[in-house]
Amino acid sequence: MLDPAKPDDQRVERSAAERSADHAAIDRLTSELLPALIAKLGATGLGEFEVREGAWRIRLRQPGAAPGSAATARERKPGERERAARSGASQAGHVGGMTPVGPGREARDGQNGREPTIHREVRTDGRVDDRIVATSPAVGIFQPRTDARAGTRVRAGDRLGAVDMLGVPQEVIAPADGVVGASLVEAGDAVEYGQHLILIEFASASPSEA
Amino acid sequence: MFRKILIANRGEIALRILRACRELGTEAVVAYSEADRDSLPVQLADEAICIGPADARRSYLSAPAVISAALVAGCDAIHPGYGFLSEDDGFAEVVAAHGLTFIGPPEAVLERFASKSATRQLLAAHGLPTIPGSEGMLRDEMHALDEAEQIGYPVLIKPSAGGGGKGMRMVRTGRELESALRVCRSEAKAAFGDDSLYLEKWLDENRHVEIQVVVDRYGHGVHLGERDCSVQRRHQKILEEAPTPALSDAARADLAERAVKAAVAAGYENVGTLEFLVDAAGDFYFIEINCRIQVEHPVTESLTGIDMVTTQIRIAAGEPLGFSQADVSLRGHAIEFRINAEDPAHEFRPGAGLVERYHAPGGPGVRVDSHLFSGYEVPPYYDSLLGKIIVWGPDRATAIARSRVALDELVIEGLVTNVEIHKAMLANEAFLAGRMTTNLLDRVGSEAFLAAAARS
Repeated sequence: MLDPAKPDDQRVERSAAERSADHAAIDRLTSELLPALIAKLGATGLGEFEVREGAWRIRLRQPGAAPGSAATARERKPGERERAARSGASQAGHVGGMTPVGPGREARDGQNGREPTIHREVRTDGRVDDRIVATSPAVGIFQPRTDARAGTRVRAGDRLGAVDMLGVPQEVIAPADGVVGASLVEAGDAVEYGQHLILIEFASASPSEA
Repeated sequence: MFRKILIANRGEIALRILRACRELGTEAVVAYSEADRDSLPVQLADEAICIGPADARRSYLSAPAVISAALVAGCDAIHPGYGFLSEDDGFAEVVAAHGLTFIGPPEAVLERFASKSATRQLLAAHGLPTIPGSEGMLRDEMHALDEAEQIGYPVLIKPSAGGGGKGMRMVRTGRELESALRVCRSEAKAAFGDDSLYLEKWLDENRHVEIQVVVDRYGHGVHLGERDCSVQRRHQKILEEAPTPALSDAARADLAERAVKAAVAAGYENVGTLEFLVDAAGDFYFIEINCRIQVEHPVTESLTGIDMVTTQIRIAAGEPLGFSQADVSLRGHAIEFRINAEDPAHEFRPGAGLVERYHAPGGPGVRVDSHLFSGYEVPPYYDSLLGKIIVWGPDRATAIARSRVALDELVIEGLVTNVEIHKAMLANEAFLAGRMTTNLLDRVGSEAFLAAAARS
């Protein structure tokens, strides 16, 4: 179903000039803007802030009281998120609480802008099956959304259900565009933070591009 | 007794509580953050549950996350350890509202002792001399300056919510006070989720002596002697010992008896510590009560043979104390060394990283409470405490001799630790003579201190 070798039909074709402009922007971000912003975030004691420059948007989030944890930047061009996920790139989990967001993509990429988590299953024949999975945002009782059954097309950021934490529902968010796949837990199950809940299968064409 | 206890803490104290639960035959669930997934308490636990991300505000400091975890795991009690939510009366109240037991003083007792200034008044009314301090919490800069003027400089800025030296500064002038307030507030907020501050009179040459009390629900209370915590760096205890070399046997007994009498009369319940400053003349002043198990509790366990964590759990479950003051005997001398991931050569900068090799010392009278193992990755998000070495001897000289052997044997490779400061302390004249005051290390400076030890 998933074929990493298949060309990425969601990738926007970009001209050489646009690509080199992107690279220049990334270079400037990492060498000048990011260090200044990190220093600023540390000095202000703010939890989170966002800066826009041209088509780029950067959001920095303080990882709690984390002395000495270096924030690491990961840059991404439009359409690359899907590719990284398909190839099972080891980008699961957030790094240093910092998430640069590429142009044109509003904050729809899952929980707090973190990379989608990969659910890995090793089959009996030794084959490794990596798929994107929606994770639990809290410790509590899981309730799926009745209109987000298996087979439903979803976009990154769509609500798949909620985890009830002391009566307060915490939304379970689709981490990527795709189709709702198998549920790894039942309605009413106790789940812990970060637990893998619902697999997201990929449609051949993204609903967002259709 | 409880059926199942949620351990809402991390590191060595989570391990300590896990061991106590096992001894009592009570099931335990270790609650952990994403950053502690590979930690020793989680590995050794029969059951563990992830409650949130590395950020403590969304895991160990999140009351909803902790309580939700206790409920879904089928627990009937929560042990908060020290720090984090351990002295939060609001948390204790919500725990009780969900039909769970908070292992510590009941919520009403925590509330009674929540205000430091009200506690000072309460215990003064029950016969304890107290240190002058601000009326209630500091509202703003003006209020702080007024209060400091009333008390008289120097004063100590202290956070209401916890200990460990975080958010604490001694200031000698109004100007210093103004600039320190903001720093203290942000430190307290980060460490305890609460930035309330208050002021206390500062005595320049003082010793920190605390009395351990244990009181059951039925008003039966005993003291387990005192601990001397005068070896501090910037108001953070790094070494504790008992008995205190600062007081005579008669003075120690008098202080302990007055402390437990006042605590019982004021309605305290469960294990608690009454902290005192002792001045050069041997006069003592009550400063505050700690309503939790403390980092240095093994010092008292070494002298009394009483397990303070199982005692704490049994009292919270409503059991009577089961022993009287006459049953408590204090034997020998014990010293605890806090091993921190801090670099003494660089302003005690906290460190994190991979523990490449770890070896814990042993031998007669040596106890090690630590969550370290070879290959453990110390996360950068939390307190720098790596463990504690507690050394007992029939007398102070033997305890010191055994301590030298133990510290020399300890191996922690891959991280910079404060072990050199401890070794230097065991070569310091003032310490060996039992004349340490809380300001010694800061006054001399750590570098000079280490250099002096290297020469001797």
